[in-house]
Amino acid sequence: MILDSTFVWLHDTAFGTLIRESTWAEPIVETIHVLTLTVFLGFVILLDLRLLDLALRRTPVSTVFRQLNPWLFGAFAIMLITGLSLFAGDPVLFYGTIFFKLKMIMLLAAALNVVVFNFTLGRRLVQWDSRAVTPAGAKLTGILSLVLWISVVACGRGIAYVLPPP
Amino acid sequence: MHALANWTLEFCRWCNESFFGHTIRDSAWLFPFIEVFHLLALGLLGGIIVMLNLSLLGFRFGSASTRELARELRPWMLGCILIMLLSGFLLFSTEAVKLYGNWAFQLKMIFLLLALLFTATLHRRVLDAPQTGAALRAVTAIVSLLLWLGVGLGGRAIGYVTTAASAVAGS
Repeated sequence: MILDSTFVWLHDTAFGTLIRESTWAEPIVETIHVLTLTVFLGFVILLDLRLLDLALRRTPVSTVFRQLNPWLFGAFAIMLITGLSLFAGDPVLFYGTIFFKLKMIMLLAAALNVVVFNFTLGRRLVQWDSRAVTPAGAKLTGILSLVLWISVVACGRGIAYVLPPP
Repeated sequence: MHALANWTLEFCRWCNESFFGHTIRDSAWLFPFIEVFHLLALGLLGGIIVMLNLSLLGFRFGSASTRELARELRPWMLGCILIMLLSGFLLFSTEAVKLYGNWAFQLKMIFLLLALLFTATLHRRVLDAPQTGAALRAVTAIVSLLLWLGVGLGGRAIGYVTTAASAVAGS
C-alpha cells in the first residue's frame, strides 16, 4: 500500500534515523512540541471562551481573532513540524496505536470546524462581532472546538501510554 | 536544612501511603485522567501568561490595556493554577518518594515556588499599574516567562530522569 511504503521511506530517511537513534533529538523535539502546546492550546481556549461569552467580553470577536491569529498559526506550524518529526522516528509504530489514529481524526474534525465557521458565521463577523451576546452558532463552534482540541491532547497523551518508552 | 530534608521525605512517604496515592496507583485510568486535566490547565495557564506578558512587552491587544486584560483574565489564571496544583499533587502522591530524589522534580518545585511568588507580588503590581515604565514592564514580563519556562522544562525532564534512573537500576 502507498501508506506503508511512505512510512518505510520516512523511517529510513536520515532525519527519521536521527530522531530514532540520537539521545537528544527526541527529548528536545518533544519538549518543543509540549511547550508550544501551552501557547497554541492556551490561545485556542481563550478564543473559544470569547466565542462562548465567558472571557474577554469587552473585546470584539474580530479583534481577538486578529490579535491571536498570527500566534496561533505560528504555534500550529511549530506543533506540526515537531509532531511530524516525532512521527518520522517510527511511523509504523505510531500508526499502529489506536490513539494516534483517533488523534488524527480529531485533528481533521477540529480543522473542519474552523473551515465551516469561516464559511458561515465568520463571513458575517462584522454583523455580530461587538454584540455582548454571541450567536448560538458561535457558541456551538466554541464548544466543538474545545471538545475536539481537548480530545487531540488527550489522545496525544494516550500515545505515550501505549507506546513503550524508547 | 537537615531537618527540612527529613520532614520533606516524611511528607513524601505519607503521600505515597495516603488514600490518594493508593487509589490512583491501583487504578488503570485515574492517572491518565488526572494528567489530562493537568495538561489542559497548563495549556490555558500558559496561554494567559504568554498573553499578559506580551501585553507588558508592548503588543497591544485591541483597545484593552494591560490592566483591563489582567483583570479579565485573572480569575481564569487563578483557576488554572488551582487545578494544576491540585492535579499535580494527586499525580505526585502516586510516586512521591521516587520524585523526592529526582533532580528534575526538585528543580521544577523551586521554579514553581519562585514563579508563584513572583506572580503574586511584583508581576501582579506591574500588571495593575499603568504608569510603570516600559523597561520595568519588559523586565517583569521576561522574568515571568523565564520562571514559568523553568517550571515547564523541569516538568518535562522528570520523565526522562526517571527513565534514565530505572535504566541504570535495571542494568
